[in-house]
Amino acid sequence: MSAENKRRILIVDDSRTMRRMVATSLSNIGECRFEEAANGLEAIERLVLGPADLMILDLNMPELHGIEVLKFVRARPMYQSMPVIVLTTKGEESVQREAMAAGASLYLTKPFSAIELEAKVRGLLAEAGDKA
Amino acid sequence: MSTTSPAPTSEEFVLFELVNTHYAVRSAFVRRLEMLESVTPVPNATESLEGVVLSRGRIIPAVNLRVRFGFPKIPYDIRTRLIVVEADNRTVGLIVDAAREFTSLPPAEIQQAPQAIANLNGDYLEGIATISGRMILVLRLDEILKIADDLPAGNPVSTIES
Amino acid sequence: MADLNQPPDDFVNQFLDDYFAECEEHLAVVRAGLLNLERFVDSSIADTAQLDELFRSFHTIKGISGMVGLSPAEQLAHEMEGYLRVLRQGEALLSKEGFDSLIEGTKVLEEVINAHKTHAPAPAIERTIEILREVVAGKDTSVTPAKGQPEQTQKTEDKKQWRFLFAPSQARSEAGINVNTVRARLQSIGDILSTTPLVHDGDVLFELIVSTSASESELDALKDLELTSEPIEPEEKVEPITPTSGTSQTISTSVRVDLVRLDQLMLLVGELVVTRARLEKNLKSIRTSVTPVQWRQLQEVHVAFGKQLRDLRNDVMRVRMVPIAEVFDRMRFVVRDISRETRKQVILELSGQETEIDKFLVERLMDPLLHLVRNSISHGIESEEQRIAAGKPAEGHIYLRATTAGELVVIEVGDDGRGIDVKSVAAQAPEVALWDDEGRIDFDRLLETISAPGLSTRDHADRASGRGVGMDVVARAISDLDGSLSVFTEAGKGTTFRIELPLTLAITDALIATADAQTFAIHRSAVQEVIEIEPGSIKVLENNEIILHRDEVLPLVRLSRVFNLKDKKEGSLHAFVIGTGNRATGLVVDKVLGLREVVVRSLSDPLTDVPGVGGATELGDGRPILILDVMEILNASRHVYASQQSH
Repeated sequence: MSAENKRRILIVDDSRTMRRMVATSLSNIGECRFEEAANGLEAIERLVLGPADLMILDLNMPELHGIEVLKFVRARPMYQSMPVIVLTTKGEESVQREAMAAGASLYLTKPFSAIELEAKVRGLLAEAGDKA
Repeated sequence: MSTTSPAPTSEEFVLFELVNTHYAVRSAFVRRLEMLESVTPVPNATESLEGVVLSRGRIIPAVNLRVRFGFPKIPYDIRTRLIVVEADNRTVGLIVDAAREFTSLPPAEIQQAPQAIANLNGDYLEGIATISGRMILVLRLDEILKIADDLPAGNPVSTIES
Repeated sequence: MADLNQPPDDFVNQFLDDYFAECEEHLAVVRAGLLNLERFVDSSIADTAQLDELFRSFHTIKGISGMVGLSPAEQLAHEMEGYLRVLRQGEALLSKEGFDSLIEGTKVLEEVINAHKTHAPAPAIERTIEILREVVAGKDTSVTPAKGQPEQTQKTEDKKQWRFLFAPSQARSEAGINVNTVRARLQSIGDILSTTPLVHDGDVLFELIVSTSASESELDALKDLELTSEPIEPEEKVEPITPTSGTSQTISTSVRVDLVRLDQLMLLVGELVVTRARLEKNLKSIRTSVTPVQWRQLQEVHVAFGKQLRDLRNDVMRVRMVPIAEVFDRMRFVVRDISRETRKQVILELSGQETEIDKFLVERLMDPLLHLVRNSISHGIESEEQRIAAGKPAEGHIYLRATTAGELVVIEVGDDGRGIDVKSVAAQAPEVALWDDEGRIDFDRLLETISAPGLSTRDHADRASGRGVGMDVVARAISDLDGSLSVFTEAGKGTTFRIELPLTLAITDALIATADAQTFAIHRSAVQEVIEIEPGSIKVLENNEIILHRDEVLPLVRLSRVFNLKDKKEGSLHAFVIGTGNRATGLVVDKVLGLREVVVRSLSDPLTDVPGVGGATELGDGRPILILDVMEILNASRHVYASQQSH
């Protein structure tokens, strides 16, 4: 199975530990390759360079807030329907609402379990697969 | 904080022999088993410190467990092994008569040592397990590595007839 | 807030190293940030950029602590973040209690994380959380702070603003030109005021506004990034969106490397060094079997190899170098703490923070420097009244300086306090002559006396002699690093400790010698001279062995005696002359075998912590040999010889 046929999942979080944990949590999902971005600018660049099948996006990042990233990305025709899971922390209900309004598919509150994340990603990928 | 992960059903141990008695230490602490090559003595060190050895590019202390437990020393032979253990950020080699086996022990199998023996052995002994009729003394590694005095001669760890 | 569902240990364990490393990074930012924030206590200005940075650091620590299941850290970080949110949203001023609670909270958070790392019991966090909540609840909302940007870009006149446009593309990305590298390069020539993604003609571009004093030609050097640029006219000047004060994050093109991997790299280089030495030996032995032409060719290759290896070794060493600022910054915190504890005003002056030291040294220097700084403040610096009475400024000064001198790094810890009370030290150790014939203090002897183990347990004596506990620990730590410690003190003026450490810790030149069929190594730098001793030339003077060397009496110390080995009875001996002048001593061995370049392997286990042994090495045959700590041997020999005197 060549790299081109694999689904490209973009993990965006300024914390290296988080990125590793997310990638490892999803490692059981077949036919996927993971890319990481440490800030919103890098995430946008990676999306410009090629399509992604799903993005996991942390909100509280330096340089560019996750919601800004989301808004920018959703404005691009190619990414209007890409599944996006945003990561928030507890006690940020207003930010969660804002994120959903900006076009997030789902949100997950830190700390979350690997199993939860995997299940949600599988669900979104399956849905997107159906639509294709 | 409660934990959802269940207690382990069984732990892995490395078995070794010292003065015809079997001992066990947790595999998690054992890095590797090696043949004993040259040991360089360290002057004015504690008696159970046989010296230092070169192991995988590092120079580590080698403790002669016989001496540590108050047994007489014997010359090395082809069965002599160096058990390289890692605990508490320390890497130390333990010189034993023989070491070859690995085994699983469920924690329930490790019985408290009888009071008489426990008193003699200080804190080295975690408990005693029996496997196929053999008595295995399960050791506490952290106690062995402590820079406490070696047990005096004539007060060996094992006074049990195996 | 405690989670009932803890993530399973075996899942989490694989991330713990990353977790601890990342927490440490953020805590370093926090420490620096809090110190920066101190001047805003009770002021009506708030440094929002700094508050933002602190908020984000705690926010991240909270997030990852939750993910690895370390709930106390999560809870604590949550409270810290909460207070910082209040501050940065301008809902309150930074009060003294608030600042203190942030400092305290950071300390406890550090302890909680460290405890998890070392499997030690964790400190209680309830009280700290309570304090933080009280501070947030009791916030004074009557005055809202004005936004401040301290350290305004003072020289805005020399700086111009430029607008750069970067268009990401596959080709550029493959050439290594991406938004991160572009930003790193721009950051190196100026300050990036903002980075904004834009869409232009359907394409995505990044607009970067940079303030820089770089000249056209310097900007020309950025050509390879393929950016379009234009200067921004003064009327259009942009206000920084990402404010530039605070401990600004530098985007780096550096790679994070595990210290373990660097150690392995060093080990490999070390092995290459040993192998080269063996090759040299083998080559020598075949010299007579090859023609002179062949020999010359072999030698050329061998010499080239040696040089390349040295270069490799130096480059790998450089990778491990970090600025000593890492260590000094921690000291700022410590000074603050101790000066509050002792109720003394203390100013810490740092210089040479950019001096680079091996990463290996960073951890190992913390404790000794901490002891020295603590002693300086506790015992060296007088109380305010005493200082004023003595005509000194009310605040005490502590100096931390670092420089390099050839192959050494020199660190000085000094104070302008009362100096060491030498008379009091003399009273504790009457047998030591602390003054020379001219009444000058012998600083070496003084240092030895105050660093002698065992003396430091006499508590009130310590206070009186003004030297404090822990000097033996410091001396030991420095000697373990193969360094040297010296002191200078002047009554009423102050004390300065000087630490010299070799920059290149791991590989050194060593003299190899035997004693009683055992082989030992000794650092070449410790030896003044190697001499041969004819058996008849040893005289005995009051139970000490001496010889006449260069018309002077040279006392001898036999390594075999110090190490309880057999003395060599017949034949000539060799000796290493250690020290100079009337401090010179001859360390006697059976035979000196030669000079070798060796890789020093540390012997850090407490079992091998024996006086006289300062490391180990091996010469390529798998047999470890011990490296001697000469100073300890000479010290130990005094006891050995003294006890033999009584026989």
